[in-house]
Formats: sequence, structure tokens, C-alpha cells
Amino acid sequence: MKFFSAFRKKSPWVLHYNAGSCNGCDIEILAALGPKFDLERFGVINTGNPKQSDIFLVTGPVTYRSRERLVELYSQIPEPKVVVAVGSCTTTGGVFRGMYNVEDGIDRYIPVDVYVPGCAASPQLIIDALVKGLDVLEAKSKEIEHPFKLFGTIEMIGNKLSRLNMAKKVEQHEKN
Amino acid sequence: MIWVWIAFAPILGGLAYGGERVLRARMQRRQGPPLLQPFYDMFKLLDKRTLIVHSPHALLAVAHFFILWFSIVAIFMGWNLLYIIFLHLFAQILLILAGYSVRSVYSHIGANRELLMLIAYEPILLLVAVGFYLESGSFEISEILQKGGYLTSMPLLFAALAMVIPIKVKKSPFDVGEAHQEIVGGVEIEYSGIFYEFLYMSRFLEYIFIYSFVFLFGGVSSWVGTVLVAGTFLAVNLVDNATARVKTADMLKIIYSIAMMLCIVNIAGIL
Ligand code: SF4
Repeated sequence: MKFFSAFRKKSPWVLHYNAGSCNGCDIEILAALGPKFDLERFGVINTGNPKQSDIFLVTGPVTYRSRERLVELYSQIPEPKVVVAVGSCTTTGGVFRGMYNVEDGIDRYIPVDVYVPGCAASPQLIIDALVKGLDVLEAKSKEIEHPFKLFGTIEMIGNKLSRLNMAKKVEQHEKN
Repeated sequence: MIWVWIAFAPILGGLAYGGERVLRARMQRRQGPPLLQPFYDMFKLLDKRTLIVHSPHALLAVAHFFILWFSIVAIFMGWNLLYIIFLHLFAQILLILAGYSVRSVYSHIGANRELLMLIAYEPILLLVAVGFYLESGSFEISEILQKGGYLTSMPLLFAALAMVIPIKVKKSPFDVGEAHQEIVGGVEIEYSGIFYEFLYMSRFLEYIFIYSFVFLFGGVSSWVGTVLVAGTFLAVNLVDNATARVKTADMLKIIYSIAMMLCIVNIAGIL
């Protein structure tokens, strides 16, 4: 409903996932959530639970081991949702670009709304990115969004949509 | 008039929760979210798609909320204290059933812990009720509030009650049931959208439930009651900011060895 859409901006709940990063950006995200930068003044809560989140903060270039989980988590977040790619390696591969065990950036797997550059991205940039993400979130519809790769099916069971098989499983060493 | 209070009970609890978040932020020297943040969260949850695991699971959350609300109604109407405690117990058991009804392991651990928490605080609440009965000769809240001087005759019971408040409002050191970094919310984990909202609102009602026990200690003078509630609220938040989570088994030990003793000594003293 239109009336409630205005409140999306005021309470973004965040899910943070590390898709094989060096932990530099994770520390910066935690710094942004901590007392000094205080993201909670925007109503941000770090829920850790995809089913209750609005913003998906991803760090890391997607290693082969983490891609399944990345897509699984993405498909478990109910719409409207926004994906923020934090750090150079998340957006392009960064220092890991071209390595044998990583993909170059998460946008090969899931649609990204906001890219944050920097290795490591500073907390100020992360805050800016979240605020930018809020605008995107407010404008989004509640259409179901698909991952680009590893997308299984969305079936109808009875008169309900089932997301059980939305994220496909892969063989561990299969290159995609 | 009383019906207005009852209808607005979740809003009252929401304000308490919002105020608490601001207070905790100020204690950590940060700005914190706005006071109305819980309501923004609620409106936002209305606007999300809802994923459900199976319908009884979702329904149990709704039932939990309404039964909890009913026990708040009973408090505001001044009914029997034992009746209120058991209604609350019933609401809690529905939540635990919901936790066991899905396959998520975190949900099961959460439900286990929720049960253990129940075992920890329920006897204390009952003993506090017994204390009120011995002092005022009735379990009815309306009659308990006719007399005064509870704080001088049962200070140890008050201390025991203060010890179980963190369990009920899920604050450190006794926040094992929720434990966000550990079991991601426990029984809440599989809820989303509008059904999570019911759990979110029932948290507000828990605040009213447990702090109204504190208020009873003020007896006939509502001033003393209000000051007690405010004081305990501050103290609970201070302790929450200053301590780490204890293990579930340790929580049981602490409550049973210290709080239970305090209750028994005090009741023996009254007798
Ligand atoms: S962008 Fe740099 S600092 Fe951040 S996770 Fe990637 S490699 Fe680490």
C-alpha cells in the first residue's frame, strides 16, 4: 500500500553476508554499525535473518563455495529488497579478479542496486550507500526478483507460491 | 476509560520499547533511533511480502499475541493474579509449540531455551503472587492495590522479581532465548512480514506484563509504583549494557540459587 511504503525508508533491516571476502569490508561494516558511526539512528538493525531483512549487504567476490548460499539467502529475503555490494572485490572482483576459485563480483549471480567502491570501503561510504539504497527501496515494487544464475523454479503449491526450489544446488567444483 | 487503555496497550508497550532503544543508545553515547522507531518497523513489516512455513505455525504467533493481550486486559481490569500468570504461561506455550513445529534447528534450540526460561521465571512470579496474597489477603489485583507498604514487608521478593525481568524482556545477562548473534532470534527465526509483526508486538506487551508486577509493589500509591517502574527500567537497561550473556544452564542456576532463596526467606519471614 502507498501509505506504508513511506515507512520502508525509516526501518531498513540489514542482512550481512560474507561471500569470501578478506574480512576488511566486514570490519568496516561492523564499524558503521557500532557506536561511532551509529547506523541505528536510521533505524538499521543487523538482523542476521534473511526472512526479516530488507537490505542485503554482501562483501566478497563470490567464491565457488559461497555462491549457493549467496543465492539461497537472496531468494529467502521477501520483497521489496535491495542488494548493496560493499567493496571493490564485490563489485568487480578487485584484488581477486581472475583467480581460479572466484567469480568476479556478485552481479553475475544476483541483481545489485548499489555498488560501493573501495578496498576496504570506508564506513562513511557504506552509510552513504545505505542511504542511497533506501531511495531504491522506496521506489521498488513487490514483484518477485530472480537471481541471474542458479535460479531454479518458483512453483505454485495450492494457491501459494513456493520458493523452496528457487535456489539451485551446484556441484562443488563445477564452473558456472 | 479503562477500555481505551486496554486498546492502546500495544502502543504503550511500543513507546516503552522505543524509549528503551533511545535510552540504551544514550548509555553508549550514540544518538540512537527515533522514539517512534518500533512503529516505523511495524508499518514497514506490513508492506513486505510474507513467507510462511505452514499455516499452523503462522497462526500460533497470532494466537500468542492475542492471548498475551488478553492477560494484559486481565491486569488492567484488576482480575486474579494467578489467573493472569497462567494465561501468560499459556501464551508462552503456544510460542514454544510454534518453535517446535518447523524444521529449523535454530528454532528448536530457541524453543528449548524458551522452555528453560519458563522454568526459571515462572516459580518466581508465582511466589511473588503468593507474597501479595499473604500481605493483602487476596489474589485480586483490585484488592492488592487497596493496600500499601509492600516494599517494606517484601523487599526480597522485589529483588527476586527484578532478577527475572531481564529474562522476560530478553535483556543481557539473561537473553539466551533470543541471542541474535548465536541462534538468530530463536523461535522467531521462521517468521516474516505480517506474522513477525505479531511477535514484534507481543514483545511490547511483555514489557507491560512484567512491569505491571513491579507497579503492584507500589500498592495504593501509584506514585511509588511509577517511581519503582522507572527505577527498575533504568537499572535493567544499565545491567543490559554492562553485562554479557550467560549460558542457559547458568541462568537456571543463578535464578534457582539466588532468586528462589530470596523468595523463600521473605515468605518465611512474612509467615
Ligand atoms: S574490497 Fe578489499 S578490503 Fe574489502 S573485502 Fe574485498 S579485498 Fe577485502
